[in-house]
Amino acid sequence: MSKQVITAGIRGANVVVDRVEGKINAAIAKFGADKEVKLPNTAYYLPVIYGITGMKVETLGDMLPVMEKCRQLLADVPVDNCWTPYLGPGLDSGMATLFAFDMEEALKYVEGSPYLDSKEDPEETDADIWLGAADDIILRKRGVEFVDGSAPGFAAVVGAASSPDAALAIAKELQEKSIYVFMASNNENGNCFSKQLVEAEAQVGWNTRLVPFGYDHSAAIHAVGFAVRAALTFGGQTPGDFKGVLKYIQDRVFAFILALGPVCDEQYAAACGCINFGVPVIADTDFPEVLPTGVCTYEHVVTNIPETEIVTKGIEVRGLKITIAKIDIPMSYGPAFEGERIKKDAMHVELGGPKSFGFEFAYSKPLDEVEDGKFTVVGPNIKDVEVGGLLPIGIWIELAGRKFQEDFEPILERQCHHLLNGAEGILHIGQRDIVWMRISKKAVEAGFTFEHFGTILHAKMHNEFGAIVDKVQVTIFTDPDKVKEHLEIARKTWVDRDNRLADMNDETTETFYSCSLCQSFAPTHVCVVTPERPGLCGAYNWLDCRASYEINEHGPNQPIAKGDPMDERLGKWKGVDEFVVPASGNAFESFAAYSILVDPMTSCGCFEAIAACLFAANGIMVVDRDYAGDTPCGMAFSTLAGSVGGGLQTPGFVGISKFYIGSKKFISAEGGIKRLCWLPKALKEASKDMIDARGAEVGVPNLYDMIATEENGTDEETIMAFLTEVGHPCLEMDQLMEMM
Amino acid sequence: MAFSAQTEKYSGKMGTLTFGSGDQALTVGGQASMPFAAFDGDLPNKAVIAMEVYDVVNPEWPAAVVEPFKDVINDPVAWAKKNVEEYGAKAICLQLASTDPNGEDKDAAYAADLVSKMLAAISVPLIVWGSGAVEKDAEVLAKVCEVNEGKNLLIGPAVEENYKKIAAAALGYGHAVVSQSPIDVNMAKQMNILINNLGLPMDKIIMEPSTAALGYGVEYSYSVMERISLAALAQNDEKMQCPMINDLGKECWKAREVMLSDKEEPGFGPDQEKRGVLWEAMTAVDMLLAGSNLLIMRSPKAVKLVEECINELSA
Amino acid sequence: MGLTGIQIFKLLPKTNCKECGSPTCLAFAMALAGGKAELDKCPYVSDEAKATLSEASAPPIRGVQIGDKKVGEELVFYRHEKTFINPTAIACLVTDEMDDAEVDAKINNLNTVTFERVGLTLSADLLAIRNSSGDAGKFEALVNKALGATEKGLILMSDNLDALEAGAKAANGKGALLYAATADNCEKVAEIAKANGASVVAKGASVEEVSNFTGKIVAAGVKDVVLDTGATDLKSMFYNENQVRRAALKAKNRDLGFPTIEVICDMTDDPYKEAMLANVAIAKYAGIIVMSDIDKERMLPLLVQRLNIYTDPQRPMVMDEGIYEINKPGPDSPVIITTNFALTYFIVAAEIEASRVPTWLLIMDVEGMSVLTAWSAGKFVADAMAPFVVKSGMKEKINHNKIIIPGYVAQISGEFQEELGTDWEVIIGTREASDLPAFLKGL
Repeated sequence: MSKQVITAGIRGANVVVDRVEGKINAAIAKFGADKEVKLPNTAYYLPVIYGITGMKVETLGDMLPVMEKCRQLLADVPVDNCWTPYLGPGLDSGMATLFAFDMEEALKYVEGSPYLDSKEDPEETDADIWLGAADDIILRKRGVEFVDGSAPGFAAVVGAASSPDAALAIAKELQEKSIYVFMASNNENGNCFSKQLVEAEAQVGWNTRLVPFGYDHSAAIHAVGFAVRAALTFGGQTPGDFKGVLKYIQDRVFAFILALGPVCDEQYAAACGCINFGVPVIADTDFPEVLPTGVCTYEHVVTNIPETEIVTKGIEVRGLKITIAKIDIPMSYGPAFEGERIKKDAMHVELGGPKSFGFEFAYSKPLDEVEDGKFTVVGPNIKDVEVGGLLPIGIWIELAGRKFQEDFEPILERQCHHLLNGAEGILHIGQRDIVWMRISKKAVEAGFTFEHFGTILHAKMHNEFGAIVDKVQVTIFTDPDKVKEHLEIARKTWVDRDNRLADMNDETTETFYSCSLCQSFAPTHVCVVTPERPGLCGAYNWLDCRASYEINEHGPNQPIAKGDPMDERLGKWKGVDEFVVPASGNAFESFAAYSILVDPMTSCGCFEAIAACLFAANGIMVVDRDYAGDTPCGMAFSTLAGSVGGGLQTPGFVGISKFYIGSKKFISAEGGIKRLCWLPKALKEASKDMIDARGAEVGVPNLYDMIATEENGTDEETIMAFLTEVGHPCLEMDQLMEMM
Repeated sequence: MAFSAQTEKYSGKMGTLTFGSGDQALTVGGQASMPFAAFDGDLPNKAVIAMEVYDVVNPEWPAAVVEPFKDVINDPVAWAKKNVEEYGAKAICLQLASTDPNGEDKDAAYAADLVSKMLAAISVPLIVWGSGAVEKDAEVLAKVCEVNEGKNLLIGPAVEENYKKIAAAALGYGHAVVSQSPIDVNMAKQMNILINNLGLPMDKIIMEPSTAALGYGVEYSYSVMERISLAALAQNDEKMQCPMINDLGKECWKAREVMLSDKEEPGFGPDQEKRGVLWEAMTAVDMLLAGSNLLIMRSPKAVKLVEECINELSA
Repeated sequence: MGLTGIQIFKLLPKTNCKECGSPTCLAFAMALAGGKAELDKCPYVSDEAKATLSEASAPPIRGVQIGDKKVGEELVFYRHEKTFINPTAIACLVTDEMDDAEVDAKINNLNTVTFERVGLTLSADLLAIRNSSGDAGKFEALVNKALGATEKGLILMSDNLDALEAGAKAANGKGALLYAATADNCEKVAEIAKANGASVVAKGASVEEVSNFTGKIVAAGVKDVVLDTGATDLKSMFYNENQVRRAALKAKNRDLGFPTIEVICDMTDDPYKEAMLANVAIAKYAGIIVMSDIDKERMLPLLVQRLNIYTDPQRPMVMDEGIYEINKPGPDSPVIITTNFALTYFIVAAEIEASRVPTWLLIMDVEGMSVLTAWSAGKFVADAMAPFVVKSGMKEKINHNKIIIPGYVAQISGEFQEELGTDWEVIIGTREASDLPAFLKGL
């Protein structure tokens, strides 16, 4: 497998080190060991050597100890019948190659620089195009772009494409994504990518981000030197702290190598060196791959990728995140258009809705099965529809991402509404299979087509969910049969998703999530969101929190390793207390997930509903925000909210989401749903399915009929009479008063 | 019950920020106690007031605040010099109001050049403040950083939408950054983390938790800052241990209680200058009491009053 | 912190008799826990429960009433912990050596300098009368004059016990505050106070000195004590105020569990500096401050500062619903709608004012939420806003049909337009108030 690559690399490394040693000795013989060695206008000596080893090469003589270092790193060329070497010796030999190249390039400057020193772009009057090492001014100016993300990374292109036009296509694709193209090293036939670009009449230089470093293999070292100096300048890394430098480059300087055309031993050797920096190699020729991950984020060497796909593959393998600055649609886009209504007479076409049918569906696939940015329309497009027309619609979104998890699918799917509504002239209502859309005449006049649904979803999902999404492909179905066919597939998945969510439980989950979004006004409040207990506002369930954390790891939702259980009935875990107590500013001492009486969760103020103990009835009532009347506990919702909210633990009361009523963990420490004895009528009716289901599970199938509402009474005495009459189970349970 | 003085010991300590270069450099922060509570812990650096200078002045400014600068109001460099030489400013904050795209929309090169000229003319550290237009600020402040490499300016405000460009430029060219967040403790922390993650060390970051003037939400700024201070000190939250700055001059001098003459609002009292000076000075003292280390102020009289407070409370 | 509602509930009779005015014992317990009810309201509470509860619910800093102004009862060091409760009382000083005109002018300022804000009237609170002359008769005469000239509560200040007694007698029944008892004369002063329904300032050179004799005043039957711990400048005031609050809240030192008074007009002659001292005193724990004058220019910022610092952080200030006229709008002036969160109102109103563009500002009651919060809570949404706009009477004041909504709720524009029908045209305004002047001028 990878042995062939490593063997070639070590072979090449030996050739390079031998050659450079000869050149050093010759130079010393000619100029003397004290002869100054210097790259133009830099404080970083020979940057790769300086960054990795801390050795300052200032004279030819200083190169000798570096040469010794190269010899130490260099492995012998392996023999055929041996299984070794693996990665280690190959990486070390590669590093020796990089040191040798660093010196080989520096020697050119001793002889008199062959490069356009300190120039950003070659000019027409210049004899050649090669820029050589970037000086510190260029480094800073361009390095800042790597730090602020305006340059997402660089591609070091070695060798040559199949033709100048193919070279231009690759360069353009990289340019469009704002990726720098660092070019050096020729092919065995003497071709090189830089020259191909010039032949194709592309302007090369730092300003077009197409940087021709040099023709020789050794000139590729200027790309590595750039990365190393970035680590020293912007990463504050100490020269010689090779771990720090390597890690910085791996984490921050998103670089990859595109090896075009046949790869020679010296190029293999340099590639081995680059893998040390987490820089993967993507080649268009066929040779064995080095797939296992370890040093690089994902694979190390990926081969046999067609020229037309090599850029996409490089971005994927390096884990580069692309943002799309402008959504390329003929209408305006922004939050101001989210509320726009499109009346019948302003409408060109209606999609889905009550008079037709429609859906939207997002699911994930393996990376190589999704083509990023591909938008297809199956069925009539906008131009085929008369004004005032009606079509079914299916928006079929295929997603892929290295960090994508199946559980994120519904979260992204739900975004369609918000994302599509931002476009001027698109009205979107509903989700799943109740989608209803209108497109305005104005939008169609401006040039809108159905592909633009894809354009919008692709751009926004990359920009807002780039942390988890790498590829977005969208198909728009308007052909009725196709819509129906795909709707069936989607429906099956929705059922699966709903079941999966219902099957999740707290016992088998090791990580809960916090939500501290409300600390701005309730400084001591921390929501603990578990699979069986959504956030009390009803807006965030466990999956939402997890996705929110994956998207923004410094945001308000943090993972909580729940740790060892301390009390399973109350829902206390060691890890949860260790997280929650300091996160609340030490406002309380312990936290119980399932109890209303002992260390209940704090309440911010956003709760959908409040559960309160009714001690006389020995039960629990729940009142929601929409019910303004009196309740049996003697306090209306607003009074309760005033005394329960604000980030305090208030035993006897707890803020909850309405959905939590149907959870197995609903106040389970005190007996759960069987305690539920009073609800506002509207809430009771809306919760009927949950109550019936849970009632059956706990052996009280007619629980629904036993729960009092305001129609039965709003004071404890009256509802007591009702509860006694119907024989509500709470009357027979352990005394709540004793459970504290 | 016998009285015994109580002291608070905190496990954490606020970090410091140094801005300006060479002998002129100033250090703020580093406190190990809540504001002015020297009886609880070390307060190594007194709070500093930077006096602001505008490169273009809104014609609606009340006469009372134009008066002290009327001879230099159209010349920001002369204004800065006057603030230093006549009013004893310890630092200057250049407000690049003219770069606002909704206003004169002057370009980044102009701003960078103005900063260079001001640096050459004054002997105190310089803060450079954008117009608040998020995208334009990124462009302008990045250029200011590049052209004035190594001067250790304090630049800002960097907000969630533009911090990358601003912080990267500060990192690349040796400056410090104001990290601004909407009045919220967790958002302030998140901004610090984001900027720090770009590579800018914590001692190159100062927090602006969004400053509101008296009557316009000062209590929100006040409580958020107290909470940040306590998180840094009592909870030893490393990501909250950046000192704090308040850009308050502009907030105070647009309050209607300051803008309106007694003709327009007789109930406010005839001495408009007194109202304005006190509005600014009291807002400033509130910020100090809540934990501010660096104040940006406008009126020389207000600055003097607040400096007296700082000196007396630190005596 | 005291007991939780449930802990209190356990001690109550649990009969839901409703005689306390609360519908259930639980509701009553919650009100007690929140400091919103008095235990005395429950006729059936047992003595044992009473003892437990009153011990637990006794405030660490006593509330003291002077005239109709209450100070003290604070529970926290930082307002975000819960809230500051009774705003610092501001007193104006007059002396019996001032001429009538000066006294009249000062009392007139005290009576008349008021500001309207968020539906509240802000004003100074107390008149401090100092016996500078040493003459009891003069003092008594001034107290009598003051009683006729102002409704405000009185602080009577004299080192001369005869004068103090004469003044206290004159103000008997008015809940005056006597200034001051010292270590040497505290029993005597307490006696005077007790006889005349007054409260007493315990004054010493330091916190420690004062703590040594407040117990004697209480023992003499005067529970309402205020502390003057002898601060003479900003620094000592800051230190003493911190120490008194720590002693009361952390060490539970009952001898220092009283509100404080700072006579800041004795610390400086400079009116600006006095304002700065007052500013610090309001933020840092003073119960009462005595100032040299109640002039508009200083009171406006000081009273707003006090309002801001003492606002309950969990209960936003709100504006009344209705139409607000800014820059004298006419029939063709634009209409802007926003929420009744006071901060939103202030910021929007100030920007409109600064623009000088005559504008109608329509404020809708959404329980004091900001625009985005109210929108996400379903309160600042089309089907609630449209009926409000219709019944607001706005339409009758204008000759056009445009209404501007905040840019942050642009997403409701379509639905709002539908709800309002053809009578109105909905226009999306700016997201930030600071962009309003340019927006209004560009209309």
